[in-house]
Amino acid sequence: MKGLPEFSEHRLGNGLRLLVGEARSLPMISFQIHFAAGSRYERPGITGITHLFEHMMFKGTRQVGAEEFSRIIQANGGSLNAFTTTDNTSYYENLPADRLDLAARLEADRLQNLLLTQENLETEREVVRSERKLRSVNSPFGLLVEQLVALAYEQHPYRWPVIGWDSDLRSLTLEDCREYHRTHYAPNNAVVVIVGDVLPDEALRSVERHFGPIPSQPPPRLTITPEKPQRGEKRAVFKKVSQVAAFFAGFHIPGIAHPDLIPLQILCVILSVGRSSRFFEKFEKPGKAVEAQAEVGYPPFFSMDPGLLQLSAVASPAISVDTLEKEIWEETEKLREQALPEEEVHKAKKQARSYFLQGLQTLFSKGLLAGLYQVRAGDFRLIYPLLDRYESVTPDDVLRVARQYLRPENRTVVTLQPASPKEHEELGKVE
Amino acid sequence: MKSVGPSRGFSLPPISASLLGNGLKLYAVPLPDLPLVSIHLIVPCGAEADPVGQAGLADLSAEMLTLGTKKRSSLRLAAEMDGMGAILSAYAGWNVTSLHISGLSEDLERLLELLREIYTEPAHAPEEFEQLKQRRIGQLIQQKDESQIIADERFQQTLFQGTPYDHPTYGTLESLTKLTFDDVKEFYRKSFLAPGSFLVLVGDLSLDRCLPWVERIFPAPGGKKPEVRGFSPPSSRGIRTWIVDRPDLTQSQIRLGHMGIPFAHPAYIPFEVMNYILGGGGFSSRLMQKIRSELGYTYGIYSSLEPRKFPGPFAISTFTPTDITFPCVQEIGAVLRSFLDQGATAQEREEAVNFFTGSYPRRFETLSQIAQRIIQAELHGVGVEYLSSYPGRIAGVSLEEISRTAREHIHPQDLLAVVVGRAEDFRKAFESLGPVEVFQ
Repeated sequence: MKGLPEFSEHRLGNGLRLLVGEARSLPMISFQIHFAAGSRYERPGITGITHLFEHMMFKGTRQVGAEEFSRIIQANGGSLNAFTTTDNTSYYENLPADRLDLAARLEADRLQNLLLTQENLETEREVVRSERKLRSVNSPFGLLVEQLVALAYEQHPYRWPVIGWDSDLRSLTLEDCREYHRTHYAPNNAVVVIVGDVLPDEALRSVERHFGPIPSQPPPRLTITPEKPQRGEKRAVFKKVSQVAAFFAGFHIPGIAHPDLIPLQILCVILSVGRSSRFFEKFEKPGKAVEAQAEVGYPPFFSMDPGLLQLSAVASPAISVDTLEKEIWEETEKLREQALPEEEVHKAKKQARSYFLQGLQTLFSKGLLAGLYQVRAGDFRLIYPLLDRYESVTPDDVLRVARQYLRPENRTVVTLQPASPKEHEELGKVE
Repeated sequence: MKSVGPSRGFSLPPISASLLGNGLKLYAVPLPDLPLVSIHLIVPCGAEADPVGQAGLADLSAEMLTLGTKKRSSLRLAAEMDGMGAILSAYAGWNVTSLHISGLSEDLERLLELLREIYTEPAHAPEEFEQLKQRRIGQLIQQKDESQIIADERFQQTLFQGTPYDHPTYGTLESLTKLTFDDVKEFYRKSFLAPGSFLVLVGDLSLDRCLPWVERIFPAPGGKKPEVRGFSPPSSRGIRTWIVDRPDLTQSQIRLGHMGIPFAHPAYIPFEVMNYILGGGGFSSRLMQKIRSELGYTYGIYSSLEPRKFPGPFAISTFTPTDITFPCVQEIGAVLRSFLDQGATAQEREEAVNFFTGSYPRRFETLSQIAQRIIQAELHGVGVEYLSSYPGRIAGVSLEEISRTAREHIHPQDLLAVVVGRAEDFRKAFESLGPVEVFQ
C-alpha cells in the first residue's frame, strides 16, 4: 500500500521480535520498543504501577545517569517519549537515521541494567501524582470517565485507570517495581519497530548486537478475568464544580482483532465526525450541545480486550442534560431501525480512508501502527487490509452492529451534575 | 560526540514560488508519497486587527466563511467536504487569517474550486451567524472549567493590556456577546484578499496541473491591510502576582514571564538556543532538571517565546500541587537567577545546537508542517531562503551570545506571575514578592 512500508519481521534467539520498515522520505528513523505491559496486567492494590514504571525507565542505569537518556537522544538530534495504555507500554526515539545504533544501545541498556532506587521512586511518585491531578482530578471530565469505566467493567482490569488510584500510587514499593521489571520487561515480551531511512540488515545487526545477549524470561502468568455480558443499563451521577452539565456513556464492544470494530468505527464517523455528521447537525449546530461525540478509537488504538464505544455530550446552557440525553438516544435508535442510505455510509467510508492516510504521514505513526497491532492483535500484518476493510463495509453491516451493540441493556451512563464549591467540598476530598 | 547536522542527505522539499498574472503568490510543493493534499489560502490580516472591544472578530469572521456559499448551504458544503473525506477549517492567528483544506489528491481540482467559492462567495447567512455565536459562547463557558486555559488567558491579557495582543484570538464571553453580523461582514469586506495574500499547495500534485487553474479561478489581491498599532515592552514593573481563586482545585496552574522579543529581532535565533537550555529543551533543560527531576514538584515545566511581529510572550508554564505552589515559584526564580549569573556551558550549547540541526528534517515531515514553515517565513517577510539558512544560523550561535541574550532579554526582577488555584493556601506567601491581586 502506498505510504505504508512492507515491514520485514525478524525474531532473535531470546524471543525479541523486530519489525523493520523502509521509508526514505527523510534521513530519519523512528525507533520504538513496545512491551506487552499495560494496566490490564495489574491487580487491585498496585494500580498505576505500569505507568509509574514507565517513568522509572528514565531514571538511569549503571552506565547512563538519571534523565541522561533523554539528554543524549536530544543532543543527537532526536526526540523521545513514552506512553502507557491499558494494553502496552511504548518507548520511542525519533532521530537521524545514522543514530540507529545509539537508540538500540540505550534501549537495550535500560531494559537490562535499570537502576531502581528509593530516592528515584519517591520523586517519580510525586511527579505521577501531579500528572494524575492534571489529567484526572482537575480536568473537567477526567473523574467522570474514570467513574464510567469503573462502573461499566465489574471484573476486567480495564475498570481501573491507567494512571492508577491515588491511594495505590502512594503505597507502591520499590519491591513492587523490581518485580514488575522482572516480569514484564523481557525481550520475549517486547517488539522493536524501526521505520525510516534504514536497511533491514543494518537494523537487525544493531538490534542483535545490543539486545541479543539479554536473556529471555518465563512468560508472565496471566490472570485476566473476562468481563461478563452486561444485562441491563447501569447509571450513576457524579457531582463536581463545573460550568456545564454532561453525560458520558459506554457500550461494551469487542477487542481489536474482531471484524466488527471497523463497521463500529464507520458508525461513529456517521454519528459525530465532520460537520455533516448527525450529532453536529442535530445537536451542536443548533446549540443544544457544546459537543457530542461517539468513538471507538481508530487503528491502532482499538483496545486489546473488549472495550467501550464511548458516547458523550456536554449540554449547552439552553437545554437540560436529561433532555439532551433523551434526544441523543432517539438519534442512535434510528441507526438500529433500518439500514442507512448507501450514500451516507459511502461518505463515512471515504472520511475513514482519508483520515487513515492522513495518520500515516510520520515515521512515528507508521511504526506505531505496526507495533501496536503486533502487541494488541498479535499480528502486524492486519494493518495492510485496513483500507480494504473500510471499503467493504455495507449499510447492513452498520445496521447489524448498531443493533448488536447500541442496546440500552449494554449501556452504562454517568451524568455530571454541577455542584457549588461548598457542596463540592462537603462531598469529600478528590484525589 | 559526533556533530549532528542536516547535511547527511537532507534537502528541503521542492518549494516553487510563482507570482500569478493576477498578483496572487502561489507556493507549490509536490510530494507524491501519499495521495493527499494540503491547501492553504493565507490572508495577512488577523486578530491583531480586532478593533478595541471586538475581540474575536477576525476569528469569528474566518469561521463564518466555512458556513455556506451563495451556491451551497452550510449543510451541503459540509456534506461535500465530508463526502471527499476532506477537512475544512478557518481561523485567525495574530497576523493571519487562514483557510485550510486537507483532503485526497484525487479531489484536488474540486477542493480548489470550493476553496475559491468559500472565500469569494460566502453565503453570510444571518441564521448561521447567530448559531455560530451561540456555539462559541457555549464553548467559552465550558472553557471556564479548564484551569490551564484560564491561566494562559489571564497571563496574556494582563501582560499585553493596552496592546493589540490583549485578548484571546477567539475572543471573550463579553466581546462575543456584543459582536454583530454587520461587524463580521464589514471585517470580511475590509480584509478581503488583503495585499500579500497567498496560496500554499502541498502534496501529491504537480505545478503544471495547478498553476493555470489557480490563475484562472482566483481573483487578484486588493484593498489595503488594516493598520495595527505597534508597541514596545514597558519599563520594569517589578514582580506582580495575579491569582485566580479556584478553591476546588488540588493543583495550581502557574505562568511566569514577561514580554519577549519580536520574531524579526536579531537576537531571536540566539534566544531559541538559549531557551532550549533554560526551559524549552524538555529533560535537557535547567528548569525540568531542577523542578521535575530533582524536586518532583511537577509533571512538566517549559519556557517558550512565541514568534510574533511585535514582542510575543516569554512564558514559563507549569503546574504543581497546591501546597508547594510558592516553593515551586521560588525555585523557578532561583533557576533563572543562577542561569543569568553563570550562563550556559559549552556542552549545553553544543547539545542545543545539535538538537535543532539534527531534528530539523522532522519539521518537514507532514504536509501541514511544510505548509506552516512556508507560511511563517512568508508572513514574517523573511522568504523561504530562511528555511535553508536556518540550521547554519543556529550552528553559528556562540556561547557568549547565549549568555548575553539571557542577560539582556530575561528579567527575573520583572515577572508577571499568574496562578490559578486555592488562593487561601498561598496568597500570603506571594505578598512577600510584590503586589498581589485575587480574582474570583
